[in-house]
Amino acid sequence: MIAVLGLIVGVVAGILVRPEVPVVVEPYLPIAVVAALDAVFGGLRAMLDGIFDDKVFVVSFLSNVVVAALIVFLGDKLGVGAQLSTGVVVVLGIRIFSNAAAIRRHVFRA
Amino acid sequence: MSNEDEQPENRLRRELPEEVPASASAEAPVAEETPAPTVTGRQRLVQGLWPPRASRAQLIVAVLLFGLGFGLAVQVASNSNSDSALRGARQEDLVRILDELDDRTQRLEDEKQGLQKQRDELENSSDQAEEARKQTAEKEKQLGILAGTVAAQGPGITMTIDDTKGTVEADMLLDAVQELRAAGAEAIQVNGVRVVAGTYLTDSDKSVSVDGNKINAPYRFKVIGKPQDLEPALNIPGGVVQTLEKEQATVTVGRSSKIVVDALRAAKQPDYARSSSR
Repeated sequence: MIAVLGLIVGVVAGILVRPEVPVVVEPYLPIAVVAALDAVFGGLRAMLDGIFDDKVFVVSFLSNVVVAALIVFLGDKLGVGAQLSTGVVVVLGIRIFSNAAAIRRHVFRA
Repeated sequence: MSNEDEQPENRLRRELPEEVPASASAEAPVAEETPAPTVTGRQRLVQGLWPPRASRAQLIVAVLLFGLGFGLAVQVASNSNSDSALRGARQEDLVRILDELDDRTQRLEDEKQGLQKQRDELENSSDQAEEARKQTAEKEKQLGILAGTVAAQGPGITMTIDDTKGTVEADMLLDAVQELRAAGAEAIQVNGVRVVAGTYLTDSDKSVSVDGNKINAPYRFKVIGKPQDLEPALNIPGGVVQTLEKEQATVTVGRSSKIVVDALRAAKQPDYARSSSR
């Protein structure tokens, strides 16, 4: 419950504060958000499976974000930033969908 | 969000290789464990949601989710802001957009030049048309003076031939007209009849007809032309004046700086002759 509250408070704070995104972070933020979403869905699925571990969640969340940002950074340096970030989004999207399918099976039994 | 992004970046880079198996192991045993627990996923979800427990796991997850929500909102806000639509764009995209804008500018510039050229041409042609119209009007006036269809005024002379004896005949008046023409007369009228190229003079008992209009003495000529040329031309020895005076007619010639020739002739459309110039 507190976790859900945290998410809501975060969204509200982001809307209210409207901080200027630093230029350095700007290209990585969208990918990082998608990666974090993937970690959250994974965590939700693990919780439904009864194998949720907060340490694993923290590590996977942070590492997902960092790896995604790193891939985009590398892609930008190699000159394939756009394609590579598309690839990252596709892969993360697939994972989010499969996790969502598992969650769906748990919640709706279908 | 940015702080959370960068702060762990240094700290967690060492853990990166370990994460992949960790998440794999987190999801791999899913299939094995599903049948084992008696508590269903739905019950666990409800338990996690209510009642709220301030456990360490909940707090940590809440912090992370706060970061996620914050980043999400910021990203959405900055993305939906059309003003900064270009801010997140990549360098190659920006270059492409710039190129496209350059192309577009170039095209519009070309179009503008074409249109300006067209406008100039139209202005020129309308100027030329205006000029031609003016010249035509000017020419029409000049020809009108010659043809006697418009009134004329200017310096010139008046000549009055008083013929008390009735001795003046048409050929004498014709001589006078010829002499005046030779001396550069531009418009002539005699007693209210305009003298033009096709004017004919005939004798009609004791007086003269000009173009079929009978006129009586005294014959008053109004002539526009250079007075210094016209007057001597009439007065030369053996000229018009002397000839007329020999016939006992009285001739008075006077210069004037303003002569008005206002007798008009109707413009006559020729029946057969047509202008050959286009």
